[in-house]
This record gives sequence, structure tokens and C-alpha cells, in this order.
Amino acid sequence: MGGESRYEIAQNAYLKLVLHALKHKASAVNGVLLGRVSPHNDLVEITDSVPLFHSHVGLLPQLEISLILIEEHYAAEGINIVGYFHANERFDDSELGGVAKNIGDHIYRYFPQAPVLLLDNKKLEALPRSKDRSPVMQRKSWLPGINAEAIGGKRSCKISFSWHIALLYTRDASRNWKLAGTDGSSQLTIKEPSANVVLLDYISTEKWKDVVDFDDHLDDISQDWLNPELFK
Amino acid sequence: MVSKTEETQLSNLESQVDNGGGGAWEYLCLVRKLKVRRSEKVLKHGLSILNDPKKRSSLGHDEWTLYEQVAIAAMDCQCIDVAKDCIKILQKRFPGSKRVGRLEALLLEAMGSWEEADNAYSSLLEDHPLDQAIHKRRVALAKAQGNMSGAIELLNKYLEIFMADHDAWRELAEIYASLQMYKQAAFCYEELILSQPMVPQYHLAYADVLYTIGGLENLQNAKKYYASTIDLTGGKNTRALFGICLCSSAMGQLSKGRNKDEKESPELQSLAATALERDYKQRAPDKLSLLTTALKSLKVSS
Repeated sequence: MGGESRYEIAQNAYLKLVLHALKHKASAVNGVLLGRVSPHNDLVEITDSVPLFHSHVGLLPQLEISLILIEEHYAAEGINIVGYFHANERFDDSELGGVAKNIGDHIYRYFPQAPVLLLDNKKLEALPRSKDRSPVMQRKSWLPGINAEAIGGKRSCKISFSWHIALLYTRDASRNWKLAGTDGSSQLTIKEPSANVVLLDYISTEKWKDVVDFDDHLDDISQDWLNPELFK
Repeated sequence: MVSKTEETQLSNLESQVDNGGGGAWEYLCLVRKLKVRRSEKVLKHGLSILNDPKKRSSLGHDEWTLYEQVAIAAMDCQCIDVAKDCIKILQKRFPGSKRVGRLEALLLEAMGSWEEADNAYSSLLEDHPLDQAIHKRRVALAKAQGNMSGAIELLNKYLEIFMADHDAWRELAEIYASLQMYKQAAFCYEELILSQPMVPQYHLAYADVLYTIGGLENLQNAKKYYASTIDLTGGKNTRALFGICLCSSAMGQLSKGRNKDEKESPELQSLAATALERDYKQRAPDKLSLLTTALKSLKVSS
């Protein structure tokens, strides 16, 4: 598997994950991708996503229970777990770390073509501000506030606008997660071309505040990890 | 760690100030007291006080604390110039102060000048070898550069001296867990439980780590600590309740075909399941059927 894989992510699925990452700027966050394989052309359609955790991302119990519940919910709609999303704690860390790889392996068991999307913090930070005046919300990522007594800042980085802000990893025959190169063998596209424009708009309205993840749900079960009202 | 009531109090105050209802100073004091990170808000509201001469003078001596708080918030938001201005003012008022020296080093950190920051902290430590905050900043510095082994080493050294610093133990546990060094993380939580046995979060985190490591004995212990968490939280901790169910299921899987006489009593699991169902019925009824199916699948054992 993983020779030629094309992935298409729906705008809302994409936005949910990025907004989640923006809500928890100083921690690693992750999420699960839901979707199906298109019967016509082998395209993996990522139709939805569920933001998972923003704390203790490397621990198993919460991951297991979340996957059980999520899989159960979406199975009724004929949609399966098809991939994993991860954002590193540090701004300048663009490596797929051990925890992310392990969870990726776990998800791979659900779906062999499962991609791992790693948020590219630099690209996120470099999204053009266009008309908006407030500073683009940046992932603080590397801020290790030891209980916030003193906290540092983060370097900024000026890079030009990019199409989507995730790095795509797929699993090769030797069970390693490989970054998809520009040779085009594996690709990720966003279904709606306006996605980043919408994202910028949401950033300026601080939409990330409304994102509910599984951590929030476990802290207060009345919080809905399906985020039904988020894009209404 | 902030309790739910404190979190609510903070949010309410935050909305109030955001919507022009006043109370900015109270909000800033609460943020300081709870040691939470609300840098954008602190920057905005702190500056509104500092830039107004009347409001500023009414603070009296607290003015300097506010400058410090705003400087740090500014650095967190990458508003370096604001931070520099605040620090200049503090330098003028308190020349040669260690506290201001710390801020200067923090500024170097914020600007990404790692080496200069490290030198600044080292020289501060020469004069003040027992300043906990400076020691911890050095750990943060290592972590920021991705030098996790360095951070771990420094933090361990720190804890040899300041072994009662619970936040540091927690930070170390979290670093270990993020590097998948679960046994070491478990050790940290054991220290925390020993020194503060009535704090449920430590029991819960310890149970989570034990479950993650896996193996029958660890699962049995995890179950015990999920149980103690439930005890300490009056049965209200959803994670611990799920934890019990997960443990029972995992132990059942592991002991398939083994001696059945040693099987744990299933009462705890059904009690936990019932408690979860009751809770979901009341507060998340649309998720109840999902929960029931999930619990059924977890009861699959031998």
C-alpha cells in the first residue's frame, strides 16, 4: 500500500483540525480523520475530522476510548477512520515524532492507506493576513511554561503562502512513515479551494474558541466532540 | 492546576472585561494568582491600564508588578517592542535587580537568542544559585531548542535540590510521557502521589501511564488507581470510570485461556459502566446509545 495514494480533505474537516491547533497553541494536539475511499477512482476522501486531545497526547486510555466511540458513531453513516492528524508542541519541530508514529501505526490497522498529516506550523504562521489588522494567531508551540511563572515568546518566520498547511506522511512497505515528496506519488488536496480564505476569516473572528475536542468532552460530557454547531 | 470553579470564575471575569464591564485589574490579579496563560488578554487589558496615567497611578506599588506581567505577556505574543519598553521602565526603577535581570534574560529567549539567554541565566545563577525560577527557565530553554535530554538532565538536577516542587515533577512526568519513556513518567507520578496522596489528578495520570505501559500487573495497578481517583472525586471523574472499563476489558483479553479463578470481580466494572450510563443519560443523552454499544464491546472478555 501507499505507492500511489491521493487524498482529498473536505474544508470543514481541514478547518476543524487547524482551528483546534490554534485553540491550544502551546501544546501538541491531535485528531482523527474520517472518510471513505471513492469507488470510482481510488481517491481517499476525508469527509470529516474529530479533534482529539491537547494534553497527555501520548497516553493510551483516552485514545482507545475515543476511537471506539468515534468509530461507532461514523460507522452508522458508512464512514470510517481513515487517517490521523498531529501538531507538534514546538513551532520549529517539523519531525514526525514517536508518539505520532505510534498513533499512526494504530490508525493504520483501521485503514492501510491511512495518512498522517503533520501540521506545518511555519506555513500556518505565514498565512497572509490580507485585510485583517490583528496579529495572526500563531502556534506558540515551543513554549514550555513551567507552570507559567515565566513564559517566552516564539520566533516568527516569513515564508510565502502555501496551498495547505500540513505535511503528508504515508506508510511504505517497510513500515516507515515517509514524507510525501513533490514527485507527486502521494498528494493531499483540499476539496474546496476557498478553504484558507475561510480559515483566515475564522482566525480573525477567533472561531477556534468554539472548537470542542475529546479532552473537553471527557472533562465535561455535555461538550459535544462532533462540533455540530461549529460551521453553522 | 486550576479547579473547575476557578476556571469558571476566570472565564466570567474575562467576558466581563472583554465586554467593557470593567474589572481589568481583578482579572489580571486572578490570572497571576492562578498562574494561567492568557497572554493576549493580559497584554490588551494590562496595556489599557498602563497607558492611562490615572489608572496607572491608582495602582500604587502594584504598577511595577503589572509592568512585569505585561512584559511577559508581550513576549508570549511576540510583541517584543512592548516587552522592551516595559523592561526599560522596570530597569530604571529597580537597577541591578535580579527579578528584572530574569526578565531581560527572558526577552533574549523570546527573541530566539538562545546562547545569550543561557549566558544571562548562568550569570544570574552565580549570584543567586538557589533561585528556582531561573533554574526552571534553563530547563525551558533546553526544551525550546528541542534538547529534550538536556531538559531532562537539568530538571532531574533541579529536583535533587528542590524535591518538593510538584510542578516540576509534573513537568518531568509530561516530558517523559511525550518521549514515550513511560516507566520514568510513572516514577514521577509515584513521587507526586507519595507527597500529595489526596490529589486525584496524580492518581489518574499514574493509572493512564500504567495502562499505556500495559501488561497484566500494570493493568491491575492501573485499575486500583482509577478506583482511587473515583474515590477521591466522589465518582464524578469520567476518565477514571472509562479507565476501569478499559482495564477490565484489557485484563480479560490478556487472561484469555489462563486460570479463570484469578479473575477479578466484575462488580467494579459494572458499577463504573452504570455510573457512566447514568451520567450520559443526564448530560449527554444523544451520545447514550454510542456509550452503551462501546461499553458492550468492552465487556468482551474470554
